[in-house]
Amino acid sequence: MGDIFSNLGLGFGVVFQLVQWTPAFLGGASIPIPVNILLCLIGALVGTLVGVLPGIGTIATVAMLLPITFGLPPVGALIMLAGIYYGAQYGGSTTSILVNIPGEAGSVVTALDGFQMAKQGRAGPALAIAAIGSFFAGCVATVLIAVLGAPLTKLALAFGPAEYFSLMVLGLIFAVVLAKGSVLKAIAMIVLGLLLSMVGSDIETGASRMAFNIPELADGLGFATVAMGLFGFAEIIRNLDAGGESDRELVQQKVTGLMPTRKDMIDSTPAILRGTVLGSILGILPGGGAVIASFAAYTLEKKISKNPQRFGRGAIEGVAAPESANNAAAQTSFIPLLTLGIPPNAVMALMVGAMTIHGIVPGPQVMQKQPELVWGMIASMWVGNLMLLVINLPLVGIWVRLLRVPYRLMFPSIVIFCAIGIYSVNNAPVDVILAGAFGLVGYWLIKHDFEPAPLLLGMVLGPLMEENLRRALLISRGDWSVFLTRPLSAVLMAIAAALLVLAILPSLRKKRDEVFVESEN
Amino acid sequence: MNATPGQAPVKSVMPKWVRGPQDFVGGIALMAIALFALWASSDLQGMRGFSFGAGTAPRMFGFLLLGLGAAVTAVGVLSEGTHLAKYHWRGPLFVSLAILSFAFTIRPMGMIFAAMTSFMISACGTPETRWMETLIVGACLTAFCALLFPYALGLPLQMLPTFLIR
Repeated sequence: MGDIFSNLGLGFGVVFQLVQWTPAFLGGASIPIPVNILLCLIGALVGTLVGVLPGIGTIATVAMLLPITFGLPPVGALIMLAGIYYGAQYGGSTTSILVNIPGEAGSVVTALDGFQMAKQGRAGPALAIAAIGSFFAGCVATVLIAVLGAPLTKLALAFGPAEYFSLMVLGLIFAVVLAKGSVLKAIAMIVLGLLLSMVGSDIETGASRMAFNIPELADGLGFATVAMGLFGFAEIIRNLDAGGESDRELVQQKVTGLMPTRKDMIDSTPAILRGTVLGSILGILPGGGAVIASFAAYTLEKKISKNPQRFGRGAIEGVAAPESANNAAAQTSFIPLLTLGIPPNAVMALMVGAMTIHGIVPGPQVMQKQPELVWGMIASMWVGNLMLLVINLPLVGIWVRLLRVPYRLMFPSIVIFCAIGIYSVNNAPVDVILAGAFGLVGYWLIKHDFEPAPLLLGMVLGPLMEENLRRALLISRGDWSVFLTRPLSAVLMAIAAALLVLAILPSLRKKRDEVFVESEN
Repeated sequence: MNATPGQAPVKSVMPKWVRGPQDFVGGIALMAIALFALWASSDLQGMRGFSFGAGTAPRMFGFLLLGLGAAVTAVGVLSEGTHLAKYHWRGPLFVSLAILSFAFTIRPMGMIFAAMTSFMISACGTPETRWMETLIVGACLTAFCALLFPYALGLPLQMLPTFLIR
């Protein structure tokens, strides 16, 4: 217990750190500025912006901003990137409620009841409950990360290559189960991602694999490049398909009476609690994340509600639960990354990229060797949530006005930002072309109902999986049964197998589809 | 599921026995990728005793993808599925052109030129573009980038064309 407090204390110390800034024009005088707080604020604001604007997602933004963090100290860079992820969860809810346009996949379900509430003139309470729920979930998730961090790190140290491999198999299976649509197609996407990750030089022998003597491919396909193509460019091309602007009729009502009534509070408190718990669990699970958490929380609320017909007509629980859940999940998904070094979803995979840029190899050793990095980031999440709560409600008007920017002006800007972003990672024009090619691939995938997210996860885990598989087999002298004879690994494999069987069983598949169909009706 | 309402009846180029053209074509493409990968990694060393060679893992995943692609194709043949979606040419074409133009002009011409041209090219991606407005926004955005990247973020991007610098 005392450990947790001293760790959090260390974290807050890092967050509130002052850096002496000595600009030349002051002639030697220096001003102390809280750099990390400022970066946290910038991250949270950029995240909110991204969450508000439809047509640009978290994955593309984090990928776009990776090069921007080159010049920052590692702690600051990670604090900012984390802020984008949870900030987006706040921002998405605002536009879902006010104008029925979910800016972020995680808040699609919020629009169902939130917009109805806004139509009834109760936009204020809906926004307030969404913010309060998110903040509460953020606090719980922060504590959870702090509590689980140390023990999980200890567990991770007991992991050998066989266990790591089994854990990653489990993670990929989770990604399949939690993905939308066909199980078979999701698995195919993961394998395609694994295959793509093989491009480049072999880690052990240095042999060039499927690189066709193209020097830029010798180092493998850049992860940020592929992410930007699949999630940035492909998204733009698809939006252009939709044929012009769906006229965004803005219900520009005055948001009056922000305060929820007593009844709202009583109704939404249990929903917030349930959403937080569900979101936290789904966030930790590999393959999970904010999107699935919000869908699941909404379905759960509807299932256990005494009169489910209220949902879709402005039930406040339908706003409280998914909003708490997506925020909780956005934060707890850092747990596997920080303790085990395994990214549970695509955004976390980009965080791995950010850490690698700064020379940090994610994994259990980070928590021991660079505690200020990990705990600083954890503490910043709480501070960031507080800032979002305070700044978000007054800024609602500005965010809504931003939606008036027509897509015909927005998309060329996104194209340019993406292009500059990719180019500046390696100063390589070939990377830009590759990202464009992956944009077309992504467009094709969307047209054929293949989900790009599992592909990206496969691509990140590919090299890690191969390395651990090779190492495990080398240690066991070629004996494949090692994955089943080591107890920890056997348990992980058993869970993975059970999950896969469950996912294919028709009864559970129906349930799983229900969760997603919910949003489309 | 057969004919999604609102979707224009498309003349199917698929033979009758393909009941889910979307999955059928998707599966075949996956198999093609897998075969290509297997061919591309065929020159790599396989297993040496019990230790992996450079080619072991790519081949493993290649065969796995081949199998999965075949399964997706089979699903497309055996069960009713969605028709092929309609492709549009305008968006993909101009966005790709914009990306290519950026990639080819950034080195010789510098960022200001590259950003501005590819902004204008990608704006062609939608028929709604109004030229005056696009020009102004493009110029503002280019100016913003020219300040943001080198000065605020300290990224070493070349701004002006190479021949001007010399």
